[in-house]
Amino acid sequence: MVNMIILAVVFVIGAFIFQVTLSGFSRKVVARIQKRRGPTVFQNFYDIGKLLFKESSISHGFIFDFGIWMALGSTIATLLFMPVGGWALMPKYANIIVIIYLLAVGSLGMAMSAVGSGNPLASIGVSRALTQMFAYELPFVVIAVLIIYLAKSSNILKIIEYQTQNGWNLFSMPIGALVAYISLMGMLGKKPFDTPIAPAEIASGPLVEYSGKYLGFLMIQHEFATFIEVGLFVHLFMGSTSIIGFLIKYIIVYISAVMISSVMARLKIDEVVKFYWRWPLGLAILQAIITLGVRF
Amino acid sequence: MGEIKALQLFHGPNHPGMHGNFSVHIKVDGDIVVEAEANPGMLHRGFEKLMERRNWMQNIALILRVCVVEPDINEAAYSMAVETIEGMDVPERAQWIRVMILEMARIANHLMSLGGIGGPTGLYTGPNWALVDRDLILDIFEKITGARVYHMYIVPGGVRQDVTDEILKDLEKVLDDIEKRLPEYRELILEHPIIQKRTKNIAVLTRDQALSWGVTGIALRATGVDYDVRKYDPYLVYDKVEFDVPTVDFSDAYNRLWLKYQEIYQSIRIIRQVIEKMPSGKVREKLPGNALKWRVKKGDAYVKLESARGEFGYYMVSDGGTKPYRVFVRGASYPQGLLGIEKGLPGTRLEDVAIWLDTMGVCAPEIDR
Repeated sequence: MVNMIILAVVFVIGAFIFQVTLSGFSRKVVARIQKRRGPTVFQNFYDIGKLLFKESSISHGFIFDFGIWMALGSTIATLLFMPVGGWALMPKYANIIVIIYLLAVGSLGMAMSAVGSGNPLASIGVSRALTQMFAYELPFVVIAVLIIYLAKSSNILKIIEYQTQNGWNLFSMPIGALVAYISLMGMLGKKPFDTPIAPAEIASGPLVEYSGKYLGFLMIQHEFATFIEVGLFVHLFMGSTSIIGFLIKYIIVYISAVMISSVMARLKIDEVVKFYWRWPLGLAILQAIITLGVRF
Repeated sequence: MGEIKALQLFHGPNHPGMHGNFSVHIKVDGDIVVEAEANPGMLHRGFEKLMERRNWMQNIALILRVCVVEPDINEAAYSMAVETIEGMDVPERAQWIRVMILEMARIANHLMSLGGIGGPTGLYTGPNWALVDRDLILDIFEKITGARVYHMYIVPGGVRQDVTDEILKDLEKVLDDIEKRLPEYRELILEHPIIQKRTKNIAVLTRDQALSWGVTGIALRATGVDYDVRKYDPYLVYDKVEFDVPTVDFSDAYNRLWLKYQEIYQSIRIIRQVIEKMPSGKVREKLPGNALKWRVKKGDAYVKLESARGEFGYYMVSDGGTKPYRVFVRGASYPQGLLGIEKGLPGTRLEDVAIWLDTMGVCAPEIDR
């Protein structure tokens, strides 16, 4: 038990350091695309550190405070179920369904807290975020269910095992991988799907009322959520049992998403929903028909 | 329940979608703007009144602040108005240099607002690229005038100092560079499917609206009216250079961007002709006596120029003293910045507010003055 707690702490801290460094690196990449020098790779550590050492945060009531702890807590809890390569803290429970559900708790916590702040821009941002969640989850879930059906298990470790035997899902279902990738962009809030936090329209939406420690917590939450979402994609489509292999694939997927994001503009929220339910959902169903047709 | 439908939002001054110290109070029903109220005054320095208390030459340092992104147009309009009242002749070479400076400023301004569409739409690569190229122009400004943004270069009687041939060569190189990179902007911004989706049929201005509100510049030319002061009432040496006035028939955000893109080409064309045809000679007429005790003859004059945002004018009255008696500035973005916001925004969506402000070229200090 003690062993497991130590492992969990090491895992959480490791994931944090890895993802925050990678975010810093991605800022460098974006800066190069934009003909800038960019901040140092460690800039995100400095930002989070600075915010956490701020003295006080303004509170807007119990829900506002509680929502942040709910978001951060449930995201870290989700992280504990995430396998890395072939290793998982709790191999029995490394389950897609658990992860998707627990991750939603984090988003809901943040939504609760933002609405609790009473700022109209935050409410608009939250309603957009939840609408967008509704849009991208449907195509993603169709593909996830298809993979679960093929692997005959919803355990991610089993899915990885299935891929080591039958080759990457990326190659056996390229359309599905594309759909999941587009959904991933939506989950990460990368452009063109950064409508919920659109700075020029609603001044960063849900984040508008946060400062100091709370903003720091939300940044940490965002880094963990990113780790889970990108990691999930890597496991589902490029599964392998080595940790180093996982990290390399992770870096490729994440940086490519950042690069695509940097030359994209923002869609409006109704266009986001229309887009997701027209193209990715259609393609996901097409992939399901093809895959099931080949099998039977 | 039906009564709490409209939500009031403060779009600016502390808002990433707002450029300048300006704010728009909007009421939204869902995502649709029901009511928009422009709320200027945050940059009010009383330019017009201040000018009455400063010498004719001291004002040169003040008027630039009327528009930050394109200050040179102020210097030119002010100097030309003073010269008209005084009946001064400006050396030929100085007039050509003024045209060059004004067109450089126009390129810098158009680059900024063409890339600037990336702000409201989220394409942050656009503004960053545009600022890099604008910086090249600012470098040339620094070489010519010694300053990057506020040049104080065009003064009554000519320009402060001559331009050397080396600087002109550098300028040609910069123009070649920018011209070579313009197609990249076209690919990145104008041909971007999402930008097209976000700007086509958005922030539409009809010809009747534009004419009755007094909108000029790109926004008017996009409705099919080819009104350009440079062509209709040529000042300086604009009648001696060849250039076209691009127009389109439908003034939406996309077409306005498209016109800005086209005008950069025209400005490059004008500057090349200026470099080629510029005569040699002196660049500044000496003022009679001490510049700080200079008395301008009694009289008044209205001078209008074509700025990057529209017709820009100075009406000045002199009572024969050492200071102007009254100055009126016609800010080019005044009609679309105040009336345009209050009448044009209702019915559009929250997302399009920043796009309206950006493509109309609203320059906050011009409204406050």
